[in-house]
Amino acid sequence: MKKILEKFTLLSFLIMLGLTSWSQDKTAAGKVVDPSGLPVSKATILVKGTKAGTSTNEMGMFTLTVPASAKTIVVSSVGFETKEVSIATGMMNIVLDASSSKLDEVVVVGYGVQKVTKVSGAVATVKGSDIEKLKPVRAEDALQGRASGVTVVSNGSPGAKPTVLVRGIPSYTGTDPVVVVDGAIQSLDDFNAINPADIESVNVLKDAATTAIYGVKGGNGVIVVTTKSGRKNQKTEITYNGNYAMQEVMNQIGVLNASEYAAIVNEGSVTSGGSLVFPNLSGLGVGTNWQDQIFKQAPLQSHTVAARGGSEKMSYFLSGGYLAQAGIVGGGEKSFFNRINATSNLIFDLTSKLKFITNTTYTNIKGAGVPENTINSVISNALNFDPTLPVLNNTPNTYGKYSTSKYILSEIINPLTQLEDTYNKNNTSKLYGKLELQYDLLKNLKLSSRFGYTNTDVTGKNFTPLSFYGVSHINSTMNADGTPKPGSHNSVYEYKTNYFNYTFENFANYNFKVGKNHNFETVAGFSMARVTGNSLNGSRQDVPFNSWSFADISSATGIATLSGIDLGSYQYERRNLSYFGRVDYDFNDKYLVSGTLRRDGSFAFGDNNKFANFFSGSLGWVVTQEDFFKVDFIDYLKVRGSYGVTGNENVNPQYQRISTLLYAYGLGQNAGYSFGNEPTSVGATIASFKNDDLKWEEQAQLNAGFDIRFFNNKFSFSGDYFRKDISGLLFTPTLSLYLGTASLPTANIGTTKTSGVDMNLGYTDQLSKNFRISTNITFTKATNLVTETNNGLITGGGYGIPYQSVTRFEKDKAPGYFYGFKTDGLFQSQADVAKHASQPGAQAGDIRYVDINGDGKIDGDDRTDIGNPFPDFTMGWNLSLEYKGFDFNSFVYASVGNEVYRAYERNLAMTNKFRSVLGRWTGSGSTNEATNPRYSFIDANNNTRVSDRYVEDGSFIKIKNLQLGYNFSSAALRKANISKLRIYAQARNAFTFTKYTGFDPEISGGIFDTGIDRGAYPQARSFAIGLDLKF
Amino acid sequence: MKNIQFIITMSALLFFGAACTKFVAYDPQEDYQITANDYLKTADDFNKMAIGVYSPLQWLYANPVIGDVASDNAVSGGENATDVVGLQQIDDYQINSNNFYFSEAWKSCYEGINRANYLHENKAKLEFTGKEALFGEVYFLRAYYYFELVRMFGDVPLFAEKRLTATDSRKFARAPKADVYKQIELDLNNAIKVLPAVNTQKGRVTKYAAQALLGKVLLYQNKFDAAAAMLENVVNGPFQLVTNFGDIFLQSGENGPESVFEIQYSNISPFYDWSNPGRGQGNLAVQMCGVRNLAGTSPYGQGWSINLPTKELANAYAAGDKRKAVTILDIEAYKTANPAFNISYLVAPYKNTGLYNQKYHPRKGETSGQVELNYLNNYRTIRYADVLLMAAEANNRATTPNDTKAQGYLNRVRERAFGNKLQNITSTGAALKQAIWDERRLELAMEGDRFFDLVRTGLAATKITGFKANKNEVFPIPQQEVDISGLTQNTGY
Repeated sequence: MKKILEKFTLLSFLIMLGLTSWSQDKTAAGKVVDPSGLPVSKATILVKGTKAGTSTNEMGMFTLTVPASAKTIVVSSVGFETKEVSIATGMMNIVLDASSSKLDEVVVVGYGVQKVTKVSGAVATVKGSDIEKLKPVRAEDALQGRASGVTVVSNGSPGAKPTVLVRGIPSYTGTDPVVVVDGAIQSLDDFNAINPADIESVNVLKDAATTAIYGVKGGNGVIVVTTKSGRKNQKTEITYNGNYAMQEVMNQIGVLNASEYAAIVNEGSVTSGGSLVFPNLSGLGVGTNWQDQIFKQAPLQSHTVAARGGSEKMSYFLSGGYLAQAGIVGGGEKSFFNRINATSNLIFDLTSKLKFITNTTYTNIKGAGVPENTINSVISNALNFDPTLPVLNNTPNTYGKYSTSKYILSEIINPLTQLEDTYNKNNTSKLYGKLELQYDLLKNLKLSSRFGYTNTDVTGKNFTPLSFYGVSHINSTMNADGTPKPGSHNSVYEYKTNYFNYTFENFANYNFKVGKNHNFETVAGFSMARVTGNSLNGSRQDVPFNSWSFADISSATGIATLSGIDLGSYQYERRNLSYFGRVDYDFNDKYLVSGTLRRDGSFAFGDNNKFANFFSGSLGWVVTQEDFFKVDFIDYLKVRGSYGVTGNENVNPQYQRISTLLYAYGLGQNAGYSFGNEPTSVGATIASFKNDDLKWEEQAQLNAGFDIRFFNNKFSFSGDYFRKDISGLLFTPTLSLYLGTASLPTANIGTTKTSGVDMNLGYTDQLSKNFRISTNITFTKATNLVTETNNGLITGGGYGIPYQSVTRFEKDKAPGYFYGFKTDGLFQSQADVAKHASQPGAQAGDIRYVDINGDGKIDGDDRTDIGNPFPDFTMGWNLSLEYKGFDFNSFVYASVGNEVYRAYERNLAMTNKFRSVLGRWTGSGSTNEATNPRYSFIDANNNTRVSDRYVEDGSFIKIKNLQLGYNFSSAALRKANISKLRIYAQARNAFTFTKYTGFDPEISGGIFDTGIDRGAYPQARSFAIGLDLKF
Repeated sequence: MKNIQFIITMSALLFFGAACTKFVAYDPQEDYQITANDYLKTADDFNKMAIGVYSPLQWLYANPVIGDVASDNAVSGGENATDVVGLQQIDDYQINSNNFYFSEAWKSCYEGINRANYLHENKAKLEFTGKEALFGEVYFLRAYYYFELVRMFGDVPLFAEKRLTATDSRKFARAPKADVYKQIELDLNNAIKVLPAVNTQKGRVTKYAAQALLGKVLLYQNKFDAAAAMLENVVNGPFQLVTNFGDIFLQSGENGPESVFEIQYSNISPFYDWSNPGRGQGNLAVQMCGVRNLAGTSPYGQGWSINLPTKELANAYAAGDKRKAVTILDIEAYKTANPAFNISYLVAPYKNTGLYNQKYHPRKGETSGQVELNYLNNYRTIRYADVLLMAAEANNRATTPNDTKAQGYLNRVRERAFGNKLQNITSTGAALKQAIWDERRLELAMEGDRFFDLVRTGLAATKITGFKANKNEVFPIPQQEVDISGLTQNTGY
């Protein structure tokens, strides 16, 4: 404190000195240009060591009166390297280099910003300009391949949430990173409401050093989103960005045509002892490929108008956005995502010391969807439906527009009828933002009080009409003449849900120097957070006219059915209280030390563990700052290391619940008893144990990395190795049976280990006056292993009827791995069958399964690890070229080693088959591929059991973005005050290189559903044109 | 100055933060969840909790089946060697500790005990009318559960103070049988003091039920003098033998004049959960013992051909014993005798004896919902005839035997069975004892006590094929419990 006062005095003295020596001034004048010679306007010119300065005009010119003693001016401008220039007499020509080096860049970390050079943790940054290039619907898609250490599995469905993993899979649940928008805590789900065009930058905090300040929320990484804001004294700048794209499906899956189908069905029937189903194959032709029928070309458009600027006392950023994406499955009528955004980010200087910041965004989303990635998805039906049928219903006097099958009587229906009968809509209104006060108590001590909030209202409606899928189809609720079947009703379901979350944070930032070289930046504060949700829903039968137009609870006439509750509600609330602090120290920008502490209280923790402490520490050494370091071509080298502990709060309170149920399904906690012939008496009992020791999942993470820049900052490279040890995963403990049958509490039992490498290589150069290149390659690798589960395992995603489970979370395995039988070719003869371990039902042509445990029989115990849906590593390659007015951008993303489980093949007798069946086993020696067993209706060997027959390598390389733009530059434009006019053409997902035979090897979902392709919504290929305008 | 300002500000911030610690406290009431904290505040809460103590009785549906299958009365039956594996192993005396039926019985009894204990530990919370009598029921039930455990497994973990919590896991070792019996006697004596002689609600525990159970418990410990005295109360109670033996096992005979205690089942609240088939209000044991694929217009429903009476049991009935036809359904004979019913059925595919348990055979119209799971048949736990036979045995084996009394009680049962006094027993001493034991088998066959009677009387090894003395007197402790709680296993398992 004393030092500061001293500095104050000194500064005042200097200013006084400056004022009293005005008579000895001289003039500095010049022109500031960029490397291509174009003038740089609004560049700041300061006399070194003072606040005296000016800025350049439109022509890059400036004139500044400086004290005679002044020797140097400092020239700076956004996007350029700051340059110190000796004051010369006459016109100085100052060329600014584009800021290829990132030395001046800052990253937004928890409760503050840090210069990149001072960061000793692991942070990945994606700039707004990169997001603008991709123009994604959701901003996370821009992180894919651009932020090293982040794995994004995109989702093809309009507006749907992708899988986002920051540095691997620590847990079987709750792997979403926390999202912080301008300091306000949100979730990954909230990305649906953010207009990517409003984003200034995204920083992904990856290691414990950077995430520990978020404590129990930081375990899965933190995505820090900074939206745009205005600058003081900035002339109003208005931008318009428009983009119009046409989307289409990239490929089709090979299914049989009508003739092939009929032939194979005949074969299946005959080999199983039946007669020919299609006695006459001629005239069937190719029939209908239902994929042609369901996939449509669908438009995607986005428009954003934004204004930013500022006056002496305030600055603003205003933005309005509209986005409309129609789905390629069924077209825009049945699946769409329409979003309207309005954002206003305002900063006011209330006094010279008190600043008020208010960010407000209103978003409205309207959407509708079709069944996807389930056994009854539209795509699954399109792939498996009978190809011999015409598209339209040509049976006279029967209900329905589209054809029905007389052979497929359950599960599978005409996908067009399904689309027609799919009626739903949802409407989300979201208001989010923050209110923040910043008070400069001292020059270096700033107090901040911030209230971040998100209010979301979702209303929605589904209508299930009476439907006709065929005369004997079990899902038909109508007769062929359109009359309802007895006991069948249509129904409408409506829901209204409100979510309200807030975070109230108060903290102080205090930065000071001790001596000349000891720099401290500190922050301390506390935070209160509350997350609430409540919902009311209901359904009613008998909508008039069986029509969507009248589908509303108010117009429906049905009365409650006997069995079902037709009203429901739920509510939940989560609360956290946290204290945090961080000290960043550096010695002369050379030695960096940082320490973070966070104390977290959560409503969800057991009474004995209400608070958790998290800490981290990091060290950095900027080697190039050392005098002894003299390697010419290396401009910057920093070595970093960090270690710390963060948490994951995905627990729920465990208390002694009272059950008064007559029967508790699946648990045996019923408490009723039927005395005599009386109605059953309601009893009560304690149905669950409490666990007052419940706590958080704990992640200890070690990070070691380095950043290097060389050849005049043209090349940059960052590499990080990390290792995470996660403990306290929730599993059900094994407790003494004599405790009774109340449901066991969950306890912190499981552990996992994750390690990996993130790398980022960049190259930026001005190759000639007109040619500029910028390219970037990222590499992300994470290896996950479950190390303890208390002998338990969690079975996850599966498919089919009957349901077969595929993925598991189990000790000594990768999380979410595929579990099933290993195949070993086909039995070529009955002798082969006899030689092999006993495999009930097997005959020649059937799949031979491996006797993993060697007990001489093939049974459930022989199932094993047959694949991993998560990639071994992913890479992204971004390339930008600028030549005169032209700019070109491409982005390529590769995912290697991810496997896909093909679960969309139904394999019922009369469903359509896939082209691989044409290569089926037809006799000894015909084939030994386990994917091609003999074909028969009767499958005694159960060739369709979960096995590696359905596992495919889903590695892919996708050209995610190709963009070619042109910047118009002419006097006429300048005269019209248009500072930028750019048009471009863009192709998204132009090509995918993969061996996967399905639509799209990117199958997003939770840990247990990623990689299971039940007919997932493929990502669309789209071609777009766009316009960027700036006034 | 600035320093002070800074310190004040920071202190204020921290103080404010600290004051909010209760911000993260959680009460499940916020989520409208009823918890233990909200309960046992009214008499109704206590009543409901007491009803909850009854529920696990219903889950013990398989215990009577075990009692006969393990004995010379019945075979396991079923579809094949892998159907109802646990029962097959019991029947074949290939008993191991991984047996579904044992672990279910173990868990159900301990659930009942924990439920009873919870009321016991909270007994002082509230005073209300009828409280003592209600706790009489609770203590009876706890005694019942411990008695089931002790006669099946011998030494078992014993706790009677409180409902165990998760932290009590692995804390208990097996308590000596004698201690368990002591607790059972204590509970029953306490229950007898407070229970009413009659309970208006049928199926609720009465003083007589407690006395009868205590008599049985004493008999199992060879405390014949005490047993005789205790059972005398029930013998002189308001019970009578139902004239027509078969009527006892009809729906109309439930909770009848001969009933001392019955576990209540009902089809009123249909149950559909196949994954926990015994946990509804219906009696699954009934479905188990039915004839497979039985069709026709007879009153019988079809079942799974499990728990089939042996021919040896059938042959044990003397001519003229009316109990034979009530106990055993010879389906082929029945079919021949009733051509009008147009009966067809599938011969029991495994261990067929041609005989079925008539007492608990499924009957049409007595189930609902998922038909297999909801048979209404009560399990006749203690009948007056049983009490008479126990009293007869106790008097015969007392320090000062009273064979006259014993004969009298025994012959009341026999007279009902034969409809005359011609079959009355006149022997005394050991011969009378044997006669009483034989009578127990015939009277109570397929009612679940045979195995335990044979063990109790030391006859198991001679009567049961495969029974190994000094091993099979008790069943193995469930392996899971041995593994988790480190309990010792019974000898030989």
